[in-house]
Amino acid sequence: MSAIQPSPALPVGGPAPSAAVTAAWVRSLRPGVILASLVVLFFVLAAIAPALLAPRDPLAIDLAASLRAPSAGHVLGTDQSGRDVYTRIVHGARQSLLIGVGATALAMAVAIALGFLSGLGGRLVDGLVSRFVEVLFSFPVLMLSLLFVTVFGPSATTEIVAVGISSAPGYARMIRGQVLSVRGSGYVEAARALGHSYPRVIRRHVFPNAMRPLVVVVTLGVGQSIVWAAGLAFLGLGVAPPAPEWGAMLDAGRNYVTHAWWLEIFPGLAIVLFALSVTTIGRYLQQRLEGGPAR
Amino acid sequence: MSARGVAVRLLGAIGVLWAAATFTFFVQTLLPGDRATLILNQESGQTIKRTASELAPINAKYGFDDSIVGQYLHYLGGLARGDLGSSYQLHEPVARIIGDQIGPTIVLTVTALLFAWAISLVLTIATAKRGRVRSTLGSGFETIAAGLPHYWLGVVLLVVFAIDLKWFPVEGETSLSGLVLPALTLGIPLAGFIGQVTRDEFEKVLDQPFVTSARARGMGDLGVRTRHALRHAVLPGITLSGWALGALFSGAVIVESVFARPGIGQVLVSAANARDIPLVSGVVMLLAFVYVVANLLVDLAYTVVDPRMRTA
Amino acid sequence: MSLEHPAPSPPADTTRGRARLVGLAAALAIASTLSACGGGGASGGSDSASAGTAAGSGAASGSATPVRGGTIRYGHEQEPPCLTGGWVQEAYIDRQLLDSLVAQEKGGKIVPWLATSWKVSKDQRTWTFTLKPGIRFTDGTPLDAAAVAKNFSYWLDPRTGNSTVQSYIGGYYASSRALDATTLQLDLKKPYSPLLSSLSQAYFGIVSPQTLASGADAVCTAPVGSGPFILQKWNRGQNLTFVRNPSYDSAPANAKHQGPAYVDGIVWKFLGDQTVRYGSLTNHQSDVIYDVPTVDWQEAKARFEVQQYITPGTPVRLSLNTSRAPFDDVAVRRAFAYATDRANGVKSAFNGVIPYNGNGALSQSTPDYDASLANAYAYDPGRANSLLDAAGWSAKDGAGYRTKNGRELTVKLVYPAGSVITSEGVTLLQNIQQQAKQVGFHVDLVPATPSETFSGRYSTPDSYDAQPWYWTSPNAGVLYIVWRQNLKDSPNGNNESFYNNPELDRTIAAANSTLDPAKQKQLYARAQQIIVAEAAVVGLYTQTTSLAIDRRLRDVWLEDSQGEPVFSDAYFAR
Repeated sequence: MSAIQPSPALPVGGPAPSAAVTAAWVRSLRPGVILASLVVLFFVLAAIAPALLAPRDPLAIDLAASLRAPSAGHVLGTDQSGRDVYTRIVHGARQSLLIGVGATALAMAVAIALGFLSGLGGRLVDGLVSRFVEVLFSFPVLMLSLLFVTVFGPSATTEIVAVGISSAPGYARMIRGQVLSVRGSGYVEAARALGHSYPRVIRRHVFPNAMRPLVVVVTLGVGQSIVWAAGLAFLGLGVAPPAPEWGAMLDAGRNYVTHAWWLEIFPGLAIVLFALSVTTIGRYLQQRLEGGPAR
Repeated sequence: MSARGVAVRLLGAIGVLWAAATFTFFVQTLLPGDRATLILNQESGQTIKRTASELAPINAKYGFDDSIVGQYLHYLGGLARGDLGSSYQLHEPVARIIGDQIGPTIVLTVTALLFAWAISLVLTIATAKRGRVRSTLGSGFETIAAGLPHYWLGVVLLVVFAIDLKWFPVEGETSLSGLVLPALTLGIPLAGFIGQVTRDEFEKVLDQPFVTSARARGMGDLGVRTRHALRHAVLPGITLSGWALGALFSGAVIVESVFARPGIGQVLVSAANARDIPLVSGVVMLLAFVYVVANLLVDLAYTVVDPRMRTA
Repeated sequence: MSLEHPAPSPPADTTRGRARLVGLAAALAIASTLSACGGGGASGGSDSASAGTAAGSGAASGSATPVRGGTIRYGHEQEPPCLTGGWVQEAYIDRQLLDSLVAQEKGGKIVPWLATSWKVSKDQRTWTFTLKPGIRFTDGTPLDAAAVAKNFSYWLDPRTGNSTVQSYIGGYYASSRALDATTLQLDLKKPYSPLLSSLSQAYFGIVSPQTLASGADAVCTAPVGSGPFILQKWNRGQNLTFVRNPSYDSAPANAKHQGPAYVDGIVWKFLGDQTVRYGSLTNHQSDVIYDVPTVDWQEAKARFEVQQYITPGTPVRLSLNTSRAPFDDVAVRRAFAYATDRANGVKSAFNGVIPYNGNGALSQSTPDYDASLANAYAYDPGRANSLLDAAGWSAKDGAGYRTKNGRELTVKLVYPAGSVITSEGVTLLQNIQQQAKQVGFHVDLVPATPSETFSGRYSTPDSYDAQPWYWTSPNAGVLYIVWRQNLKDSPNGNNESFYNNPELDRTIAAANSTLDPAKQKQLYARAQQIIVAEAAVVGLYTQTTSLAIDRRLRDVWLEDSQGEPVFSDAYFAR
């Protein structure tokens, strides 16, 4: 997992690139973006209706067909118990996407609460919340996740909570920054001068403007969360086998890597491809949002 | 930084450490199962239910009979005296265990950080705004690198370069050649992240008027890139490095596990599994400490790189 | 030992990956034994060694003249929390540091070690051991009868003790005392015929009284003995370093030579990941590795000297919780056994290297093992179906699982992931889950983390329906440990099936105290038959130790009480 918190990956705010540069950048991204969208679509479809893409049973064993290399019958090979790797990757998408989306949603909810409290709450509240975020931030993601898994036992819910909580501080900082900058901008003061109530100003002006850059961050966060959750599974702290899940498949494939490379390479590729695709789309959105009409 | 600024910083650091200790203590206390049983069973390799008379001496030895608050105060008292306690599982003082293990982890993370900077700077200077193909290649590499999970990259590097090609040792020795693969595993994804932010900044700087004027004065392209643009473009990357330290430690846990490398990561995972409260708390506080120090260093690095910050 | 050491490859370290590796290795080892010996032998340990030789590495041992010097780089798997104690992972290490009173040879014969001779009173309750004179611990303390008596007191003291030792002799031991410097008298409450065999395990290794006096932490981290090697440093998470004991003069009678070790020392590395461990051997970073991955077994046989040891004691088997539904009904337990093709499941999961052990009571290498039970409950889904129909589990729900009075036929199978069951073991459990599904069992696989496992979270009758575990032991006396009734006034946490049967209890107790070997064999066989007939456990595979050794290193061997590697006779050929 790249251990990096998603937030710093993209510089939110700051001067936008000139329109010409952006346009060129976007043009150069196009084929990549299309490809990335196809990958994401594939996995979303896999998560919703896996049987459409892979009609076999991901749990069914066939001891006579164990550790088969990729072939026409098993395009991505089979594992030790003769289960079809392609089928398991497709059926694993639901679990992995659920964890990614769930963790990001949780992180966002926590971060929005903290960020807005901090950004709007005045000096004392800001100080307290900032300290709290600082403390959370001083726990590396994996450390916090280890603690959670040890307490609650390994499960998808635990993974969502662990990864979600540990990535919240990064988002919270960013939201606070956005809130502060939006609050200090002229049009909020203007709205206040026009006699709009404080809650209304927050709802109509501060919230949407502070949240806009986050669309991108959320996209990236989903990819990162999946990578993190798979890392937990890799350490043996993920969902219980034999449920197909990408990280758990990687963990199981590790022992066979010198004999059955397909068990390690393909689930890893699924994670990388998916994370890469959402990142590509995220960056593309970023260009559009910052350089386009949204501004 | 003024004396008052230093004092505020220090107080903040102590607050973070206290909170980290408190949080870890209570989380671990809430864990399921009985700690005395755990200690007894681990020593004997059994999983059975223990009788009260078997548990009594263990409870007395570690003070598990005290109230939670009592145990907490006792623990904090020890911390205040610099006593991190004794590991339940390893039967040694926590400070000594950490002291023995932290060296290789620091070497690994620092080397990884250096690798990451080296890769991303070379890439940025060589490809940013150098035409569409080069730019796309450079940014494409960064995007892919940033998305590579450590566990996967590590296993692939291990199998290809150590087991098959035999260029590097298989198990993590502390030798220089044994450091290369683990540090690359940890450094490559980070290089992707640093590269992405540095490239953005770099491209912006190259459009600034002072760059144009430097060129007008006849400065060569490489000179402009390294002497002027780079200095400004690395700032976000430096911030990111401070944030990345915690992440590097997390990554080190996995990398040490993949390469069987000595270090704090292995100790941490097994301590968390064994509910070894003193050891886990000790490591957590160490990481919190590292985090605080690293961010202090980031502030310092800023003032060095960007003289305008010096008066701030 | 009673330790239940993790099954095939215990992942001591918490990462499961490593654990798995070990399992594989073990599995491989077994398979080779099978192929080499043509059939799994009853006297495991020794067989395995010969199997290894047969497997073609062979000629290595013994031919050249031993050479002094060099350091053995040994790639082990799991790191135990303490260096002494009751776990087989600790015993492996103790074998390098400590000497025991006696040693066990293949076939169960007991030979002298620290004790040069022994005799037993007519009523079998008083044992007298004569110790080799002039032996000293490496801290200079004399190893005399008083020192040995102190060890017995320490082990059996409930405050300090070694609970594995207590499991073996706690119910029999009365007292021990030194009659003079070299004569030790051990008094028992009742006869215990497996005594000598039990004493041959490294749990019963003699530690310096100075260490004992320094307290539990010293016993755990810095034990001093009289053995062939001296502990130099324990680098946590990484390795142990040993140096040679230059004045060693107390090797057991079955050693390949007397006197100090040929090598200067050992670096005992903990390499939990099996790919790394095997790679370390092929890359010449290790001279010998433990638990050869089963996927690498064929290649290892061609390139290295390999040895394997099928550990006696119980096999790795599923204990079925007989105290609650559905396994309180013997018909359902039998149906579960018939429903699972464990023989093929084991073969597939362990790459054909580790043998299936259908007799759930004892491992096939244990003396007094009843071979007639080897194929108990051979795969027969038809029979499983009719047993379940007759037991009232005749309806099926939408998912295809059987139900009775609206309750689904669910089996909560809890397994200790990362400490006892290796990745191959987990693969086997998944195979079993899918096989049992065919006849309508819903097997719910629940991995328990090491902290859950060792904190006893899944040790109570209401916490599981089935659980895999094993106890290694050089004799059938282990049945007493595992099957003694779990009663209010004398609880037995090792009875993991919660199966109380006074007849079984009496039969095992009688066997343990019987002097006539033929009668004893018959009683142990009777006990195994009861256990298997009641399907209180379902046999899976044998716990197995394997080594792969670089051809330059000669005369490494696996001792016979529980497969501890012995390095004191080893040397590097020029």
